[in-house]
Amino acid sequence: MSFDEIVCREFAELATDYLDGALPDATLELVEEHLAMCDWCRDYLGQIEATSAAVAHTPAAAPAPDTLQALVAAFRDRPKEDRP
Amino acid sequence: MPPGTAPRPEPTRAPDQDAHLLAALRAGDEAAFAALVTRYHASLKRVARAYVSTDAVAEEVVQDTWLAVIAGIDRFQERATLKTWVFHILVNKAKSRGKRERRIVPFASLSRDAEGPAVSPDNFQRDGDAWPGHWATPPRPWEDPERRLESLEARERLREAIAALPDVHQAVLTLRDVEGLDAPEVCALLELSDGNQRVILHRARARVRADLARYFEEPA
Repeated sequence: MSFDEIVCREFAELATDYLDGALPDATLELVEEHLAMCDWCRDYLGQIEATSAAVAHTPAAAPAPDTLQALVAAFRDRPKEDRP
Repeated sequence: MPPGTAPRPEPTRAPDQDAHLLAALRAGDEAAFAALVTRYHASLKRVARAYVSTDAVAEEVVQDTWLAVIAGIDRFQERATLKTWVFHILVNKAKSRGKRERRIVPFASLSRDAEGPAVSPDNFQRDGDAWPGHWATPPRPWEDPERRLESLEARERLREAIAALPDVHQAVLTLRDVEGLDAPEVCALLELSDGNQRVILHRARARVRADLARYFEEPA
């Protein structure tokens, strides 16, 4: 990528690369220059981070009770020949 | 553009957060096994769904995975974390099931171009506008996001937003953001290039962000 400047449309695609520390140095420098000047892109970046954090805390659906029971029964009955 | 060309420090592997579970599992602790299943079942199913055609088949793949975990737990070598090991078993089973269903390998045909941009070009000024490439409809600040995103309503919206993503996007988002696997782990697991993994993750986050932005624009 050879920009001498990054615009918002480009930053909008690079936010996750930026958060992952995966940008090449030259691009990283342009991104940081852009972020220093652009409130909107800082808001966008903050929202991508907040989204990622919220996804992490989404409670997962538990397995069906009879599925869980059957699996625990299989665990209880497992052959144990490998164990001391 | 070769991403990640700058030298990065070797990531130190996080300690296995399930280490205590592993000891308990090996001692035959049923409650520990139930906790393991409860913790990972939904995420496993979401990843399986990227390879197979229906929820019911994905559920079968997950149950087969647990049976393989039961059979293998005493021989598990701890070269990976317990979580990564379980997900590797899952992906292998889902892949062979998908092959039997003659599904196309879902992660093989992706590219940055085919995926299209994460944020619609309509959100940006066009050539001829005052500031081409800058936001035309800038993101509006979110008020008190931590608190609002904890509400039941927000969580429901979030669940819907994730469920509306393409299966492959749900799989990557689940592994990276729900399960906290790092990029190299996800690439190895799904046989994705580093670049494609990040493109998919970013599309997924950007679409969920857009849905949440609509939620924040509604009156609190």
